[in-house]
Amino acid sequence: MTNISIASEAHLVEAIASATGPLNVEGRGTKRGFGRPAPSRPTLSLAGLAGVTAYEPAELVLDVKPGTTVAEITRLLAERNQELAFEPPDLGPLFGMAPDSGSIGGAIACNLAGPRRFKAGGARDHLLGFSAVSGRGEAFKAGGRVVKNVTGYDLCKLMAGSFGTLAVMTALSIKALPAPEKVRTLLLLGLDRTAAWEAMVKALSSGHEVSGAGFVPASLAPAFGEERLSSGVTVTALRLEGTARSVADRMTALRALLGGRSEELHTANSRTFWKRVGDVQPFAGDNRAVWRISVPPTRGPDIAEIVESIPGADAYFDWGGALAWAAVPNADAKSAEAIRTGVAAGGHATLVRAPDEIRAAVAPFQPLPPSLAALELRIKQQFDPRGILNPGRMWAETG
Amino acid sequence: MTLCMPAADPAVMVRRASIAEALRGLVPPANVITEEETLRAYDSDGLTAYRQPPMIVVLPETTAQVSAILKYCAREGIKVVPRGSGTGLSGGALPLADGITLGLGKFKRILEIDYPNRCIRAQPGVTNLALTQAVQHAGFYYAPDPSSQIACSIGGNVAENSGGVHCLKYGVTSNNILGLEAVLIDGTVVTIGGKHLDAGGYDLLGVMTGSEGLLAVITEVTVRILPKPTAAKALLLGFPSNEAAGICVSAVIAGGIIPAGMEMMDRPAIHAVENFVHAGYPLDVEAILIVELDGPPSEVEELIARVAALAREAGACYCRISANEAERLAFWSGRKNAFPAAGRISPDYYCMDGTIPRGALAKVLARIREMETRFGLSVANVFHAGDGNLHPLILYDANKPGELARAEAFGAEILKLCVEVGGVLTGEHGVGVEKRDLMPAMFNDIDLAQQQRLKCAFDPEGLLNPGKVFPTLHRCAELGRMHVHGGKTAFAGLPRF
Amino acid sequence: MQTHFSPRQLADPALAEANSILRACVHCGFCTATCPTYVLLGDELDSPRGRISLVKEMLEQDKPATAAVATHLDRCLSCFACMSTCPSGVDYMHLIDTGRAHVERTYRRPWAERALRATVGAVLSHPGRLRIALALAWFARPFAGLLPARLRNMLKLAPKRPGVTATGPGTYPAAGPRRMRVALLTGCVQSVMEDSINAATVRLLTRHGVEVVVSKGASCCGALEHHLGRLDSARAAAVASIRAWCAEIDGKGLDAIVANTSGCGTLVKDYGHLFRGDPALVADATRVSELVKDISEILATLPLKFDAVQALRVVYHSACSLQHGQRITAQPVKLLTDAGFDVRQPAESHLCCGSAGSYNILQPEIAAALRDRKAANLAAVQPEVICAGNVGCLVQIRSGAKVPVVHTVELLDWATGGPAPEGLAAGR
Repeated sequence: MTNISIASEAHLVEAIASATGPLNVEGRGTKRGFGRPAPSRPTLSLAGLAGVTAYEPAELVLDVKPGTTVAEITRLLAERNQELAFEPPDLGPLFGMAPDSGSIGGAIACNLAGPRRFKAGGARDHLLGFSAVSGRGEAFKAGGRVVKNVTGYDLCKLMAGSFGTLAVMTALSIKALPAPEKVRTLLLLGLDRTAAWEAMVKALSSGHEVSGAGFVPASLAPAFGEERLSSGVTVTALRLEGTARSVADRMTALRALLGGRSEELHTANSRTFWKRVGDVQPFAGDNRAVWRISVPPTRGPDIAEIVESIPGADAYFDWGGALAWAAVPNADAKSAEAIRTGVAAGGHATLVRAPDEIRAAVAPFQPLPPSLAALELRIKQQFDPRGILNPGRMWAETG
Repeated sequence: MTLCMPAADPAVMVRRASIAEALRGLVPPANVITEEETLRAYDSDGLTAYRQPPMIVVLPETTAQVSAILKYCAREGIKVVPRGSGTGLSGGALPLADGITLGLGKFKRILEIDYPNRCIRAQPGVTNLALTQAVQHAGFYYAPDPSSQIACSIGGNVAENSGGVHCLKYGVTSNNILGLEAVLIDGTVVTIGGKHLDAGGYDLLGVMTGSEGLLAVITEVTVRILPKPTAAKALLLGFPSNEAAGICVSAVIAGGIIPAGMEMMDRPAIHAVENFVHAGYPLDVEAILIVELDGPPSEVEELIARVAALAREAGACYCRISANEAERLAFWSGRKNAFPAAGRISPDYYCMDGTIPRGALAKVLARIREMETRFGLSVANVFHAGDGNLHPLILYDANKPGELARAEAFGAEILKLCVEVGGVLTGEHGVGVEKRDLMPAMFNDIDLAQQQRLKCAFDPEGLLNPGKVFPTLHRCAELGRMHVHGGKTAFAGLPRF
Repeated sequence: MQTHFSPRQLADPALAEANSILRACVHCGFCTATCPTYVLLGDELDSPRGRISLVKEMLEQDKPATAAVATHLDRCLSCFACMSTCPSGVDYMHLIDTGRAHVERTYRRPWAERALRATVGAVLSHPGRLRIALALAWFARPFAGLLPARLRNMLKLAPKRPGVTATGPGTYPAAGPRRMRVALLTGCVQSVMEDSINAATVRLLTRHGVEVVVSKGASCCGALEHHLGRLDSARAAAVASIRAWCAEIDGKGLDAIVANTSGCGTLVKDYGHLFRGDPALVADATRVSELVKDISEILATLPLKFDAVQALRVVYHSACSLQHGQRITAQPVKLLTDAGFDVRQPAESHLCCGSAGSYNILQPEIAAALRDRKAANLAAVQPEVICAGNVGCLVQIRSGAKVPVVHTVELLDWATGGPAPEGLAAGR
């Protein structure tokens, strides 16, 4: 089918206004396999609408076009010791694509965030303003370039995580923040699940400003590439960031608080480890279906148990035990039901990666209660009444 | 009042008695207020420039009662204005002559404190400060801390997406809530989010936060709580000029330091506040900055020294570091009482809330000084310097004919200036009625139409808090047919109310 | 905020004062947060800001009070937590006084209400009548079930055994060299119901070189009547006290007038204002106002000699009239700590216990809710004894507490060689 490479906002307005039927919308296409499978349709590609138009380090803000790669932005910010604090994961390799090729527009549209989510916020919290073209072909803007802004509804939140179903962004203003000088990770080895969650709760309830907390079962530990983790024991990882002295002091305090057998990763190794966690690298190489399950932190162990009960399945945890990444050999209705039952008391489970036919049969996104589903349908109809933009990407009946 | 509100519907107003009677069937009868004198007490929120007694006040006690009231109002076509503690500064809870004010003052219970999951589930009428007080003995707190935190409600915080002095580092309300229970205009009770992060589907949690009571009525909030930093210290810095203080602010941020809070006050504000709080502010300086650093003790010490050095370079002539917790709190108590303390130097004040790029601080302050002469009114400046959120307090006397109108014109000019230098109209107080008619300074008709479309998805008949936020009132059906032509809407010239 | 008084109205000093108070209010709503009735009821009308609006409307329009307005003003405890909270310095105290007086003048309450209020005013503030009433109450106790709710409530607050006054009018000389000479305001209710407090005060002061005089004629300060909006009766009671004390001042001289009931102390400190419109009395009233001190203020100036006491865990309840009315918060705690007690502060220490003069008789439901909330907050620190500086609070809290409730001076008297307060007799 036709691939329409968008070159400007005017071009996008024209493309949407003149569309006679549904269009697929993508940034650089690395997460094409995320969401309900799209039928073959003309595709609006934003890859060509790329580039950083302004970067003001002292104002902690940068303006970018949606097709800019996250990798390029990361490099640019690093030159000024800044970063995207929400650590947008690079899911390209998980979907069999080249690393470092995903776009910022895609990262925001999928509302992806890495291990620092519980402390620094998600993609939704870092989009300050944007310009976009709605499904009606109307070019509009919302938000601004400053952090404190309540002028009108927060449409930035609506755009983040809407998977291109409401409007297509043409420019984004994003928050930049100082990057930590040093990173260290405390690895507690061999804790069982109960002890691991206790340790994470304790660490995250302490004043030591833990900025990453995860649990890796023994079976997956080798997949994290660290030699020290290959000994076949569970790993409970806690990350500290800040100035050198501060990190060292807090590490001492944290070790004293938690005790037990432990190891430490310093800055470079820490960065590698947490990138693997965020990018779901342990599952990038295999062909199992991958679920992303968000629950209240203390519900993590229940999710772990459910996943364990599925033959051949594995899960590791991020966000202090509140986010599970699970790989399941057969993402059939039965395992989906088991996982979705696990989040019925609060949370959501997203089938991130699976063959098309499975994502067509098992709703990839957590089904909503009828009242919310109806509300979301009304929102979709308001922004895209003709059903032009990515229809069916999130739910069969809505957008 | 120079403000135009939607015309009251006489057909609704003549039914006042029967509407009150119907409401008395839905809530305990004593919770329906109809007497003229008593309605006056509800005629404004924290913005007193605009007043209008509501047709009726109703004070429900349960979510089921809220649902029943909204269902009734939707069926009968009656407008509803939700109200929390009535401390808002943009008139978001300004009543309507033909509308019901739905007060949530009786929703005062903390429903659950969940330490392992680090959250509190509370009813919307619980005050912001009460959340922190409920968990501080266990070493936790709720981070956003608007200056009115002693009195403002968490439901109101969500409606306005409130900030506070500590949001520079810890974020505003929308970054700190996990879940909501809310009632839609048709009476449907919806639960969004919970104790987990990133509710599935569109980010309705994010959209509802800051929606100023136009989308739904919030009946329960789940907030995140954070462990208290192990150490916190504040610097009280004095500067010979606003410019010097502005330079210091930029230098700190550019130096890679994100303080827990960085607040500025100019001379008139310092004097007004010191008179009430006796915080020990220096009185012979033009501006003060309060800079708080928190975190591990060694980091705090290190950063305090770095900020002090940057301040000296910027020309600071006074520097005091809080010696203990009492002194740190004293520094803040002055700042937190700054708005109402202005009541000691002026009978009325009009509080602005624009945000600007930090780099434009000195320039904007200088322009405001020029305007003072032009408008013949003085200004006390109090603001969140760290994130460029200004709060110029325009001092006026409502008893003097013409002063309010001048204050309004002055305020409008300040806010337009904020937009001109790359900022926004409101950083944390909300648009309400106050900045409603200035929205076109920032957004064109098409931009505003998108926001109204979101409103239409929630409240197609426009019964929830009409007259707020949007400068022009479109019917949802009209918006649906709206024709865009070369970036302009067909009815761009539609009269504003 | 904006006001709408006519020039003619502003010629009236009371309205001129109300106008200047109203103009200081910026409607920020901070006061709602610490107002006990708003915290309980969640209605703007039961908050200081709401009452300010009701009073403003009534005065500006010169309208008679309606039943609703009277109800909401009556619910105000006059605890003045709002004044401690108010950043713009609104003088709510004098505004609500003016409002109450307007209600008294323009609103006719239902007869049962009138009768109750008249009884409260007539009985409580006259020691002789109160003694008779309490004796009757003692007899009536077994028949409590037969009485209407509010009378039953009065009965509950009455002591088990009507008191015997040990501190009648007269002079109590200082032990050792005299440091100062003070008049003690014994309080109309306190002298009958809790005279042990006066006795402890006299012992404590004389032991530390203070000569104490209890002036005949200064038996009631007028605060109870004042609370009910009956300013004329309040002034009548006050006049007697002012005359008695001024005679003392002009005679042997006084270094201070000591109040150990902070509710009384707050009004006496305000006599100058109460008589501002009375040229014949304003000067004497002001002299009295300037001399009156809470007992804790006097004690803070004396070198108290503490014996070693048992470090009992004491929870200090800050009476509203002390903390909000007189802004005395630190001295009592410091005195108790210096005496060797383990002093704890309860949560919500700013909230009233519901006593508030005769409030617990006139508004029993709200008063009981506040008492229960206060009792729970006090119990949460697991005290061995509760102490406060105002008799009304003691009586109110006692009805909801499981440990002894005593006056601060009783503990301090004990700690400096006096007898143990009742209930704490088990040695020290």
